[in-house]
Amino acid sequence: MTNEPVGVLVIGAGASGAAFAWRIAELGTSVVCLDQGPWMRQTDYPTNFMDWEARSMGPFSPSPNVRRLPQDYPVNEQSSEIAPLMFNAVGGSTIMWAAHFPRLTPGDFRAKSDDGVGDDWPIDYETLKPYFALNDRMMGVSGLAGDPAYPYHEPPLPPLSMGKTGNALARGFEKLGWHWWPSDSAIISQEYEGRAGCINLGPCLTGCSQGAKASTDITYWPAAQRRGVELRANCRVREITVRPDGMADGVLYYDAEGQLQEQKAEIVVVACNGIGTPRLLLNSKSSQHPNGLANSTGLVGKNLMFHPYAAITGIFDEPLQGRRGPVGCSLWSHQFYKTDTSRGFVRGYSFEAVRGFGPAQSALWGMVQSLVPWGEAHHEAFARVYDHTASLLAITEDLPEETNTVTLDPVLTDAHGITAPRVTYWLSDNSRKMLAHAIERAKEALTAAGAVEIYAMPLMRDAGWHLMGTARMGRDPQTSVVNEWGQAHDVKNLFIVDGSVFVTAGGVNPTSTIQAIALYVADSIKSRIEGLF
Amino acid sequence: MSAALDDAGFMVALLDIVIPPNGDVPGAGGLGLSPAVAEGLRGDPLLGPMVGPALESLRTATLAESGEGLAGMQPDGRLALVQEHASANPVLMMGLLRHLCPAYYALPQVLSAIGEEPRPPFPLGYEVEETDAGLLAILRKRATAPD
Repeated sequence: MTNEPVGVLVIGAGASGAAFAWRIAELGTSVVCLDQGPWMRQTDYPTNFMDWEARSMGPFSPSPNVRRLPQDYPVNEQSSEIAPLMFNAVGGSTIMWAAHFPRLTPGDFRAKSDDGVGDDWPIDYETLKPYFALNDRMMGVSGLAGDPAYPYHEPPLPPLSMGKTGNALARGFEKLGWHWWPSDSAIISQEYEGRAGCINLGPCLTGCSQGAKASTDITYWPAAQRRGVELRANCRVREITVRPDGMADGVLYYDAEGQLQEQKAEIVVVACNGIGTPRLLLNSKSSQHPNGLANSTGLVGKNLMFHPYAAITGIFDEPLQGRRGPVGCSLWSHQFYKTDTSRGFVRGYSFEAVRGFGPAQSALWGMVQSLVPWGEAHHEAFARVYDHTASLLAITEDLPEETNTVTLDPVLTDAHGITAPRVTYWLSDNSRKMLAHAIERAKEALTAAGAVEIYAMPLMRDAGWHLMGTARMGRDPQTSVVNEWGQAHDVKNLFIVDGSVFVTAGGVNPTSTIQAIALYVADSIKSRIEGLF
Repeated sequence: MSAALDDAGFMVALLDIVIPPNGDVPGAGGLGLSPAVAEGLRGDPLLGPMVGPALESLRTATLAESGEGLAGMQPDGRLALVQEHASANPVLMMGLLRHLCPAYYALPQVLSAIGEEPRPPFPLGYEVEETDAGLLAILRKRATAPD
């Protein structure tokens, strides 16, 4: 391994880092990417094994605090109502996601103008539109064209089968006259680009043994490597170093053998997610940047946004075969997505249908709901629940608040002794009202769909999949960390391309938009390279 | 953590009370799951430290009732004693089930008994019901057109 200076150094090989690296490679300069995690093998994923549910709760848990693998870093979440989730490997959290793939809507980019809350983005839907389409082709997206909730777009593959659960829920939405549409899903419904189509294994969140679900280790990375990008796995960056003039100089990182290495670069790109990115910037203190890199305003780590989730589950008389098929990909609804002030809150939420649980998870969910007891009554109660549930997740729009933060923990460190992050997050009154509204509407939808009993989890704690806002984008250097091209206001050769740059969160899963931004930032660099610094 | 976790006779008897046999569905006690449950609890930083003492307290109580412990007690008596301890310390059953259910519902004989094929999801996968053509026809009428 040589550590000659390179043109572009990307930190993080997940959703955004992979897309960015692939696109920037067209520049013709040398591109290196460092990721703290390993390459994954599909043969290791839980669905290869009888005890797939046990594995999904242990070494394949979405929580780094449960997994505690060498490549993970702990997150102090004691002062957070939502527990952050992520996966650390080549592919990042796309290894372990549902692949539900909505885009932000045009209105999501102008929350301030439309509703007087949050802030407007310096870019809009039209800016990202070609990158959404490009990303859909690279990831392999299945869906049905013409959803009235969005500007017209055509997913490259036909929609996934919704299964009994999706059909039942769709009939419920139809009865109520509410919007619904088959989800855009980053899961291929048929063979595509050398990948085999979905065979309905079920628990997509634990990695796809079939390779039908898009994760960037099998979508972008092979293409990026063909373009000459060098990817170094198991390499954890300790800090970004700076030159005397305050510009980024490169990084110090621990290689796979644990040896400290230096890698210099002309351009440094951070793609470590909405928690990992502020952690790295705050850990990169220097005499030129005593508060951490790109943090002259003190905004790095502030405005953390999750999507507060409520889970509403109905029990149906008929069996639904719910654990078969992509768990989080069947249909969505934007019925309550836009502001209606009569509801008592601003902005809105989407619904995402969830098919069903495996037997162990069904039993445990039943236990939590006091439906499935231990003892003689266990089996009868289990039979009533298992294979008879369908759920709606309400994904509510979080608004940016400076009091919700990622900071450095005074005690915790990772395996290399690097200071770990601490998350402080409390739900706003607006979000609580939105969740309460969503639960009542979900109950109506499930009842219309035929549910005979309904149970709600008003706020899912273990649902911090979406990490956003901690290095926000904006034109004003006093109120944002990066400009409209993802370029740090303070450090002109430092770029951020992950969910950290989100100005507002919308009410949908963010990965499609994160990747579109990464592609857009890459093209912005390419087109402006001559006058970039 | 707790000697109770290493007491095979105690654990077998207890797991058969937590998930007892019922017709074709086997009870959890005789399936060799005690080591998995014990390992799970030992590695569980949240539930393990709370469940361990609760288990030990139960085991001690059973030994006071019978020299053979839980396995040596009459069915009614041991159920009553377990219920008493479970009521006094709800985390006992929560912790046991958290680590018992994933192991129990992974066994071929259990999966067969609940109507599932005794195999992992991959590589065969599953068939699912197609999207209702009538619903799709409704959507196509609502669909927007290209710009």
